[in-house]
Amino acid sequence: MKKQWKIVWSMIVVIGLLAGCSGGSGGSSGGEASGGKTVLTFWGDWGGEGQEQIQTMVDAFNKSQDKIEVKYALQQDVVTKFLTAATNGGTPDVVFWDRWRTALYAPKNVLHPVDEYLERDGVNKEDFYEEALKELTYEDKLYGLPLTVDARALFYNKKMLEEAGLEPPTNWDELEAAAKATTKWNGTKLETAGLSMGDPGLFNMYLQQAGGTMLTSDNTMNVNNEKGKAVLDFWGRLLNEDKVYKIGFEDGLGEGTDAFVTGKVAMLYTGPWMLSTYDKYGKDLEYGIVPPPAGPNGDKGSVMGGFGLVIPQGSKHPEEAWEFIKWWTANKDNAVLWAKTSLNMPGFKPAFEDPFFADDPKWIPFMETLEFAKTRPTHPGYSVMEENAVIPNLELFMQNKQSAEETLRLSQEQGDKQLKENAVAR
Amino acid sequence: MTSATKPVSAKSASVTRLGKHQARMGYLFIMPTMLLFAVFMVIPVGMALYLSFTNYDVLSSNDWVGMDNYRRLFGDDLYWKTFVNVMIYAVVFVPLNVLISLLLAILLNRAARGVKALRTFYYLPTLTSAVAAATVWIWMLHPEYGLVNGILSLFGITGPAWVSQTDTAMLSIIMMTLWQSVGSNMIIYLAGLQGVPDYLYESARLDGASKFDCLRYITWPQLRPTTFLVSTMSIIGALQLFDQAFVLTQGGPANATKTPVYLIYQQGFNQLQMGYASSQAFVLAMAILVFSLISMKINKSEESIV
Repeated sequence: MKKQWKIVWSMIVVIGLLAGCSGGSGGSSGGEASGGKTVLTFWGDWGGEGQEQIQTMVDAFNKSQDKIEVKYALQQDVVTKFLTAATNGGTPDVVFWDRWRTALYAPKNVLHPVDEYLERDGVNKEDFYEEALKELTYEDKLYGLPLTVDARALFYNKKMLEEAGLEPPTNWDELEAAAKATTKWNGTKLETAGLSMGDPGLFNMYLQQAGGTMLTSDNTMNVNNEKGKAVLDFWGRLLNEDKVYKIGFEDGLGEGTDAFVTGKVAMLYTGPWMLSTYDKYGKDLEYGIVPPPAGPNGDKGSVMGGFGLVIPQGSKHPEEAWEFIKWWTANKDNAVLWAKTSLNMPGFKPAFEDPFFADDPKWIPFMETLEFAKTRPTHPGYSVMEENAVIPNLELFMQNKQSAEETLRLSQEQGDKQLKENAVAR
Repeated sequence: MTSATKPVSAKSASVTRLGKHQARMGYLFIMPTMLLFAVFMVIPVGMALYLSFTNYDVLSSNDWVGMDNYRRLFGDDLYWKTFVNVMIYAVVFVPLNVLISLLLAILLNRAARGVKALRTFYYLPTLTSAVAAATVWIWMLHPEYGLVNGILSLFGITGPAWVSQTDTAMLSIIMMTLWQSVGSNMIIYLAGLQGVPDYLYESARLDGASKFDCLRYITWPQLRPTTFLVSTMSIIGALQLFDQAFVLTQGGPANATKTPVYLIYQQGFNQLQMGYASSQAFVLAMAILVFSLISMKINKSEESIV
C-alpha cells in the first residue's frame, strides 16, 4: 500500500511540474529597460536576409537617440500571433504590416490611428504616394505610414528581343508581336515562352490597361463588361493562337531555376522584389525593364502593393512607436538607407531624388509605373473574392474549359456574393 | 465443475473490494490523460459548437446569430464543391491505399535478406513534412522537365501539366499522399499478417490451393480487423485533407483541390469569420462521423474467423 501511494504522489508531483512549466513563452509587450529607456517590441515576418535588413534599420534608430530602444522579434506567422495578442494582451508596439490587410483589421479597432501625430509633428501627406496612404485608411482615419511601395513592370530578356529585332513593347499589339517572336516550340515541348501567363491574379492589372476597374465605386464587381472581354480575348489569343505560353510551365521553378533567369521565359510582369534574385542567379541574364504596356485605348495600369508600419491599439507606448515609424518612413536619409539595404522602394517620395534612385536606370521604369499604379480596393473581402471567385474562373478559361462570356458572368456573380458575405460589420 | 470451497457471497465480497480498489487505481492512472483530453479536445469542441451560432471574429464581435451561419452554409456553393472534391479524393485514395499497403506488406512479409531495409525505405516517406515533400513533387510533376513526364515520354506519351490542369490536379495530390501514407499502413498490415496462423496456409496448400487462392480465401478474410482499422483511419484522414492541398496546389486550379478544411482555414484565419468557420467545421465533423459509421457497418457484418 505505502509503495503504491508513493508512486501515485510522485506522479501527481511530476504532472503538476509539467503543467506549471508549460506556461507562457515569448511575446511580451515593451517595458522599461535599465537606464529609463522605453523598450518597443517590433514584430515582422521577414527572416533570413530580410531580418538582417530590418535589423540594420533598428540598430541605426537605436544609435540615433537614447530614449527609445526597439527590439525586432521575428514571428513566422505574424498575423496569427497578432490575433492572439490582440485578445490576450502582449501586443507589440510596432508591426511590419502588409498594407492591404488594413481593410480587414482596421474596422475591428485593433489599430491605432496616427492622424493626430501627423498633424502634431507636421508630417506632410503629399510626401507619400496617395494610393499607398489610401490603402492604410479606413473611414477617413489613417492607420500607419507606407514603408515600401512596389508595382509590377515588364521585365524582358534583352538578347531574345534583339534576336527578334524588336524594341521593348509599349502597347498590347507590340507585346503580342514580341511574345510571338520570342516563343520557341520543339514539337510538343515548349522551350521558350514569349510571355509568362502563369498568374491569373494579374487580371486586375490587365483590366486597368483595358480601361476598367475590378470594383465599381460602391464596391460591387465590375468585370462583366467589354473591358473584361477585351482582356480575355487578348489572353485567349495569346494562349491559343499565338501559343506563347503553356499552362504549368513555371511550376516549381524558383530562385536558382527561375524561368526568367534560365532563359525559359522571354518577358514577364514582376516587381522590384525579384531584382536581387535575378542579379544573384542570372550571371548570363541581360534583362531590361519597361513600364507595363498600355492597353488598346492607351490606358496604363499596374497594381501597387507594399508594406507599412502600424501601431496596434493595445500598445502601451504609442508615442514612442510613432517616433520610430516617423524616423524610418518620413525621413529622406533613412528612407534611402532602407532602400540601399533592402533594395525596396520607399513609400516616401522625396527619397527618389537621391542619386541612388535618380542615377540608376533600373529604378526609373518603376518610378514611372508608380505614377499610375493603383492599390487594390480597400474592401475586406477583396482578396477572398479574387481567390475564390475570379481566379478559379480565369483558370478554367485559360484551360479552355469555359468561354469568355461564361467566365465573366460567373466571376461577376460569385464575386459579388463573396464581397457581400465578407463585407464590414455584420 | 468443482464447487467453490468458499461461500459464494464472501468470495464475491472480497473480489468486489479488490476490484473497486483496482478500479480506483485505474482511474487515477488515466486521470492525467483524461484531463489533457478534456481540456484540449472536449472543451474546445464544445466552444466551437457554441461559436458556430455566433459571429465571433476573434477581435471585436461575439454576438449570438442563431442559425444564420448554417443557413449561409447551405447556400455556399464553394463549400459543397469542396465536399465533392474530398469525396472524389476519398473514393480513389482509400481503396488504393488499402490495396497498395496490403500488397507491400505481403511482399515484405518474409525473412529474406534486406527485407528490413526495404521496410524502412517504404516507411521513410511517412516521416517527411508535407512542405518538403510538396517541393520535391512539384518539381517531379513539372510538365516539361519533371521526372514523371520524362518517364511517360519514354513510352511516347506527352504527360499533362499535372499540378496546373484541373483534371489532373487531384490525381497529383492522390499520388503524393499515397506515397506518403502507404508506408505506415504497410507496417500495420505486417503486424496483422504476423497474426495469421500458419496451419491455415499449410492445410490449404495440402488441399491444392494456389497462391492466389490463399490470398483470397485466407489472408484477406483473416485481415478483416486490420483492413477495418486501415480503411476507417484512411477515410477520416481523407476527409480532413489539408496539408497537401495547401502546399502542392493551394486549392487550385479553379478550386479543383479545395478541401473543406482549407476553406475553414481561409474563412477563419484569413477572413476572421470564426463563427462561420466553426459551423463549417461542425458540418464536416458530422460528415466524417456519418462516413465512419457507414464504414463500420460494412466491416462489422464480416467478423474475423479464427
